[in-house]
Order: sequence, then C-alpha cells, then structure tokens
Amino acid sequence: MEKLFYVGKSLPRKDARIKVTGAAQYAGDREFSGMLHAAAVRSPRPRIKILSVSDMKARRVSGYVTLVTYKDIKGVNKWPVVMQDYPFLPEKEARFAGETVALVVAKTARAAKKAAALVEIKYKELPFVADPLKALEKDAVKIYGADNVLSSFVIKKGSVDAAFKKAAYTVAGEFSTNYQVHAYLETQGAIALPEAGGGMTLHSTTQCPFYVLDAVAAALGIPYNKVKILQTVTGGGFGGKEDVPALVAAHAALCAAKTGRPVKLVYGRKEDFQSMSKRHPGWARVAYAADKTGRITACRVKYVLDGGAYSTLSPIVLWRGTVHAAGPYKIANVDIKTYAAATNKVPCGAFRGFGQPQICFAQESLIDELAGKMGMDPVELRLKNLLEPGDKTITGQRLNSSCGLKEIVQTVRKRSGWDKKVRNRKSGTGNQGDVVTGIGFSATYYGVGLGAKGRYLDRAGALVNIYKDSSVGVNVGNTEMGQGALTVLAQIAAETLNAPYESVRVEEVDSSKVPDSGPTVASRTTLMSGNAIIEAAAPIRGRIFKTAFDLLVAMGADASNKMTAAGGLFSMGGKSVVFKKVVAECWFRRLKMSEQGWYAAPRTTFKLEDGQGDAYVIYSYSADAAEVEVDLKTGVARVKKIWAAYDVGKIVNPKLALGQAQGGILQGMSWAMYENLVYKNGIMVNPNFTDYVMATTADKPEYDITFLEKPYAGGPYKAKGMGEVPLIGVAPAVANAIKDACGARVKSVPLLPEKIWRELK
Amino acid sequence: MPDFIVKPSTLKELWKILPSLPAGRRYLAGGTDIVTADNCGAESSECWIDISDIPGLALIKETAGSLFIGSGVKISAIERSAAAARWCPALAAAIPHFASPSLRNMATLGGNAANGSPCADGVCALVAEGAYALLALKGKKRRLLLKDLFLGPKKTALKKDELILGFEIPKRRHAGAYLKLGPRAYFGISKAAVAVSAEIEGGTIKRASVALGSVAPVPLHAARTSAWLVNKKLSAETIAGASEIVKAETSPITDARSEGEYRREMCGVLLERALKSLAA
Repeated sequence: MEKLFYVGKSLPRKDARIKVTGAAQYAGDREFSGMLHAAAVRSPRPRIKILSVSDMKARRVSGYVTLVTYKDIKGVNKWPVVMQDYPFLPEKEARFAGETVALVVAKTARAAKKAAALVEIKYKELPFVADPLKALEKDAVKIYGADNVLSSFVIKKGSVDAAFKKAAYTVAGEFSTNYQVHAYLETQGAIALPEAGGGMTLHSTTQCPFYVLDAVAAALGIPYNKVKILQTVTGGGFGGKEDVPALVAAHAALCAAKTGRPVKLVYGRKEDFQSMSKRHPGWARVAYAADKTGRITACRVKYVLDGGAYSTLSPIVLWRGTVHAAGPYKIANVDIKTYAAATNKVPCGAFRGFGQPQICFAQESLIDELAGKMGMDPVELRLKNLLEPGDKTITGQRLNSSCGLKEIVQTVRKRSGWDKKVRNRKSGTGNQGDVVTGIGFSATYYGVGLGAKGRYLDRAGALVNIYKDSSVGVNVGNTEMGQGALTVLAQIAAETLNAPYESVRVEEVDSSKVPDSGPTVASRTTLMSGNAIIEAAAPIRGRIFKTAFDLLVAMGADASNKMTAAGGLFSMGGKSVVFKKVVAECWFRRLKMSEQGWYAAPRTTFKLEDGQGDAYVIYSYSADAAEVEVDLKTGVARVKKIWAAYDVGKIVNPKLALGQAQGGILQGMSWAMYENLVYKNGIMVNPNFTDYVMATTADKPEYDITFLEKPYAGGPYKAKGMGEVPLIGVAPAVANAIKDACGARVKSVPLLPEKIWRELK
Repeated sequence: MPDFIVKPSTLKELWKILPSLPAGRRYLAGGTDIVTADNCGAESSECWIDISDIPGLALIKETAGSLFIGSGVKISAIERSAAAARWCPALAAAIPHFASPSLRNMATLGGNAANGSPCADGVCALVAEGAYALLALKGKKRRLLLKDLFLGPKKTALKKDELILGFEIPKRRHAGAYLKLGPRAYFGISKAAVAVSAEIEGGTIKRASVALGSVAPVPLHAARTSAWLVNKKLSAETIAGASEIVKAETSPITDARSEGEYRREMCGVLLERALKSLAA
C-alpha cells in the first residue's frame, strides 16, 4: 500500500479557530445594506381550512412593510422535494400546527415578529389524524390520498410461513420509538438578496445547497443560472438541515422578490421545534424464527413511520429502514412490509441514521429476547448469524471483502469483558443496595451513500484550483456542518497534490462553482466529494510531479533514483524542491492548474415488487456494548460505559473520527434515554429545551472506541463513511443492558424511568 | 422583549415611578425565568422594572433570632454562604440541584419564589425550613409564611407591584436534606423533590418539616407527614411509615415531564432516602 502523509493523521480542524473565537459568520450574523426582516405567520391548529388572512392589525406596527402569501408566488407553488406535495405557502388548507401560512416583512426582526403575531387567520377547523397507526385504519379520516400512506415498501424472500412453522424457537414483539429533535445550536435561517436583472442570491445555513437552489428557482419561477446559493457556516445539521432549509430560503426569497430588498429570515427556537423536520416516530412488529442450533431462519417485520403532514423525505427514510429492517444477519426467509403514514403533525425527515435507528431498536432488542428464549448468550447468537464477506443480505446483495462485522463484534466482546460480566451477572455480584448493573449488546450495518432509491442524486463534483502563489482552493458541492468535511477533504486534496495541508482551503459551498453534487447526507461526503477531488486533482498532480522531476534533474539530482513526494516536498537523489517552487514553475510553463472533477456512484438496484437488488454500493458496520446502572426503586437508569467498534474503511482523520463516534454515541444515548417530544391533541406540548430534555455532559458515559479499517477499494484512499454509524446501535444496546440489569424489557424509546419502574412493579 | 426597561436605584424611587409606568409591567431580577418566557412568547409586558440595583435586596444577614436572605441574593451566593449552610441545611442541600452553575450565577431566590412554580428547588427547600416572606408595597410591609405565598401554578398572593424584599428563616439548630428526581443527571426540572428539615435529639425527632416539589399545584408543605414524625424515633419503621403517609398527601399530575402515579411513589422513595440520610 502506498505511504500516506496527510490521510490517516489527526490534523487540526480547518474551522476550529473561527468557531472557537466567535469569528465564524453564521446566517444570522450577516448584515446587508437596506436589509428587511421576515417572520412567519403559523397555523395555530392541526388542520384548518383557511378562510382569509388579514394584516389589518399588523399594519399598525411601526416598521411594518408587507404581508407575503401564496398569491405572491410567481413560480409553481410546490416545493420540489421527493413527492412535491408540500406547497411553499398553503392556499386553502394548512395541515399541521406550526405550518407557515404567510410571512410578514418589516424593518426590524422585532417588528416582524410583533406584526406576525397580529396577522389574523380566519379558519375552520377540519378533522385531523394524530396517530400513525390509526391513520392506516380503514375508517380513518383521509388526509393523504385514499389511504393516508405516504410511501410503502416490501422485501420478500423465501417462504416465511413455512420457516416459522418449522422453527424450534420463535419470538415476536412490538416496539416503538419517539421523535428526536436535531437541536442544532444554530436555528434555521436564510438571507435573500435580489440581484439586478431578476436574479436572487441566498445565504443559507444548509446541508444541501442544491435542494435550496431547486426550491428558490421553483418558487420564483426563474432559471437556475439566475440563482446562487452560498452556504453560510452551518451550526449543526444532523439531517435537520437536509430538506427544510430549502423551504426557509424559498420564503426569504419570496419576501425579497416582493420588496426588492435583502430579507433575513432567522427562526426562533420554538418555531424551529414546531415546524422543522424531526426523526420519525417509529412503530414495529418484528418476529424471528430460529432452528435448534440458533440459526435464524426467518424474519417478519411490519414497520410504520409517522411521516407527518407532508411526505418530504419520508419515502427515502422509510426505504433505508426497510433495507436494514432484519438486522445484519444472513436470513433466508424474510417478509418485510413498511409504511410511512400521514398525520397532521410536523413533517418528519432526515436524522442521523435515517430510518434505521427506529427499526434497529426493535430488531436488536428482539434478538436478545430470542437468545433469552434459547438460553444462548446474545453475543454467541449474533456471531452465529452475522453477515460475512460473500454472504447475501436480505435484498440478495452479495457482500464484498470490506466487511469486518464479525471482527468488530469480537473486539467489543473482548474489550468490554463481556463473558466475565455475563457470568458475574448470573451470580449476582456487583449489585449495591437499590442499584443493579447490567450489560447489553447490539450489532448493525449501514449502507453508505444514497443507495438505489437515491441513485440519480448520487454524484458529486469538485473544483481544484492552484493559484500562482501555490495556495490551493477547493470547491465541492457537499457541506461542512460540524462533521469535519472541510478538514477531511483538505487532507485528501493535500495528499493527492502533495501540497502542504496548510496551503489547502476548502470553501463552503457556492452553487455556481460546482455542479449539483446531491445532498450532504447518508455519510457520503468523504466518499463522494473525496473521490471527486481526487479526480479533479489527478491531472494537476501529473503536471506538478512532472515539473518537480524536471526541476530536480535541473538541480543535478541523479534520476536513476525514484522521486519521492511527501508533506509538500519532492525529493530525488539527495536533492529536494518545495511545492511552492514547483507550482511557480508550472505557472511559468503555462500549465493548467485548475480542474473539475466528477464522481458518480456505481450502479445500485432495488426491485419494487420483492425488494431484491444491490441496494447500496458498500456497507459500514458497528458493534456496541453498553453497561448500565438501574435504581430499582426509582427506575432511573444511567449508562456508565459504551464499548464500540466500527468498520468504516480507512480513517482519514482519527481525531475527527473519534469525535464523530463519541458524538454519535451520545446523541444515540440521549434519544434512547431522555428525549421525549410530546404531542397532545395535535399540538406540540414542549417545543423548548426546558422540557425537551437531552443528555448533557454530566450524563455522558465513558467511551471505549475501536476502529477496524477494512479497506474499500472504491473509496478515496480506501475510506467508506461513518457519520451516522455510531448512533444506530446505541438504543438497543442500552435497552438490552437494562433488561440484563433488572429484568425490565422496555419496548419503547425513550427508556424513561417511569417505564422501567412500571415494568419492575 | 418589552418596549422598555426601567432601573430604579432605591425602593423609594421605585414607589415614586410606579404610577408613571404602563399597566403591563413586571419585575426583572436575574431574568432566568422572564427572559425564557419572553423567548417562547409567554411574556408580553410593555415594561420590565429591573430591581437588581436596589440596595439591601442582595444581602444575607444574621440577627439574634433569624437569618435574612434578600430576594436579590443570587443562588450561587447562597452556595458560598456559611450562615446559610449553618441555619438552612435543607436549602444548602437543594442548591446543587438548582439548574446549572451559570444559571445559579444569574437567578435570585426572590425570583424563584415570585415565579410561583411548584417545581422551584430553592422555594421547596425554604418552605421546609419554615421561612417567612417579607413583602413591600409602596412603603407598606407585611410578613407571610412562605408556604402561604403560593396559591396555584404561577399564582401567588403577591398584590400588583408588591415586591419580595427577602426571606426570614428562624435560627435553630437542625438537620436538613433535599433530594430531587430530575430528568437527567443535572440541570433539569424536578419530577418530584423532597425537602426535610428536622430537629433530632437522641435519635428522636423533636420537630419535622417536610416540603414537596412538583407534586402539587404549589410547593407543598406536607403538614400531616411533618406532624406525624414528631416525637417518633428515627427508626426504619418510622421512615417506612412516613413514606406511606407522604404519598397520600400529594396530588401529582401527569404532564410532559412525568406521570402522576410515578411522582406520588417517588415522594415516598425520596422521603425514605432523605430521612435515612438524617439518621446516618
């Protein structure tokens, strides 16, 4: 394997200094001359027929400028996401409490908020649906199509009924999970600047600038080449800035188009809670069958997601959940049916894990129940059934050699002292007074990238440009949102060009500099943009290396030695020359120092009739063991330690990878244990951080994290993807540990003390 | 945010300017409740009266028979006060449960009471301590048992513009405990909380005062439990008995924070643990 100088090193984050010092300019920090401010007027009830919208009272607010409604939309009043069922602004009906009905523009943000509160919506309440399972019943109020189904998939293989009949052991259970709020530090926001000639430039906090481009062009009815999206430094995303920033930016653009002035629209926390996307609540009934040796022979799943009022990303979230619904096991007979149901609540979308954590909680909890029924160690049962290179997934996809699942499970087993702890549990040692301890396990896999359902979007571009002074500018279409893309991509560019890392600058996305590169989601940025950068940089590398060689020869170097290149230095036969000098010579020779790169993911397939096909190009893997303490009298559980191991291919930056792992574990644990968004009669009850409780650093478990780097030949420097992987398996590992500690099998996330206590009573 | 904020520098000045202020006015002390309420649209006064510069409100002082804690005293100042630790052990025990260190630097004990929330940690502990609230309105002063200040969730006996000057806690040697069940390791609103103040002599309880947080419409003085404990040995049977009685004294609700039945049971568990800590 080639020796790497920058890739594989914990180089400092490119954006650390500006974020730590407060110099970073987020959307809310930007000011423009003559700028106005917008605020949303929101539907107060779950489902209303809009009779009229009046700004009579709002006009009295000093600084009031105008009201913007659907009548001001010059383009098509359909936000172009997957299904195009969400209007930019509703005309006749608003479908969830918090939906933007109109916008107010005023001279100050304060005046805009005040005026928005005074805009009167006259409406008639319509019957609504709040429960996704009830939404699917025959006699439910119909709010979406003929059956309230936003989307549905199946995977069918083998003969499941026969396998269940023949089975030595069967288990079945119903599980549910609640919402998760992204809780990015920076709320949604955009600034729209009208350009002379009818164009519009947007400054947007977003993961997906090209979704913003689609939406703004559609809402304004202008061609794409008149719209420019500039991603601002983005204060967290986690999936929450995938689809909805496009809606916010389109609203700002409508206000700017109407007033002819720059308009800023920055959300408050409450409205962000009420109207922006969330992790879907999930419900699943899962059943497994096994033969007497512990081989899993069949799996049956019915999986329902609460999609909310509009479909947004539900179809693809559901699809990912469907593909992974049986867990990372080789199972010959499967019957999986999945549904995203429409309800009159906030539309749910992307969140780290994207439809997998919900079903993973169900099936990995049930795997432990199966082990319990068989009297087999849960890790042993998993090892017997885990996917290995050459095995087929439930969609019939044969796995290649980049699959270290069994090895990471063994790693976690060993590092956590699993075998000894399980023995101790059985003998009851280690318990003190009212507090008992236990340990639980989970294993997962994750298809990297968009997969078959998103394959048309699965491409990415890059622009690599070396200036005369040898500084390197890199533009990509995927974004930094805190995960470290600017750093990792700079490492890849520096490695490929042999440019000093300090001289490489990757910029926030400018939609006019690179072609549509799809969304920054699905743990795909390192893989997709990384490969695009390598493609762009490769020809420049050729020119630089040839020029360096010439320079070294001219300096008298013995050309019978091989030239080496590392850390910005080119050396041969005792002579060396620095990158800066080589670049100067390239420019002197009038060589092309700028190139575009493009990478399209290999072909994937998925047959809708039976769900068979090569769903994803490549998979990453995780294994988790959780140790918990449970107070038997209060039901309060505390996660003491998580041991985790991942196979995410080559690690580009170990320190950032560790940060992603720790952050993913904590976010997964927080969802598993604390986060509880409550709806009552179609109204969100706790849209604030006072009552929407998340883990703090005081709740943080101890981490023991191991990476097993199974190289992926198709990845940039053999990397796969890791952003989401660490979150997925945490909840079932914790639930299994709680069961191990005190016998309580809690089947719904969050695993609140109240639920544990009720099981213990 | 209100249209404007005024900041009187003395009580006298406060009473003088009151008539000139708009009717929609509220006091601003540490701001940790009112600013949050404002952020989420639950507060819409035209004017806030910032009382943080008024002299005397931020004092902790001992007299012969009592300890005075001014309403403007920051929670973190109580944390550092030796007098408070000595004369208000239940209050001292409640401080680490009170929000977060940064909020404790801002929040005041007076604000904690005036906000009228049944889950206020500082107030629940002060009720157990048998504290009095000292109130003033345009030069007229009155003294009220703190437990009687609370009429319901966010409802107090404070008259319009009436100001809490401070709290008076009788000086007597006693033991105290405060236990809280929050939603996470720290920095959360209690699901249930129990404060105990007790004088114990030779293993016998001479005086007891139990207060409960988050299980009633107000910070609740558990009168029956408190009375029942008097003249009992601090034994395992007494502790078990008290934890049964206290459960019957609560009327917790189910809301987004927890469930009624769970909260009721937890009052028993927390009281049991609190009394055990006094026995240890």
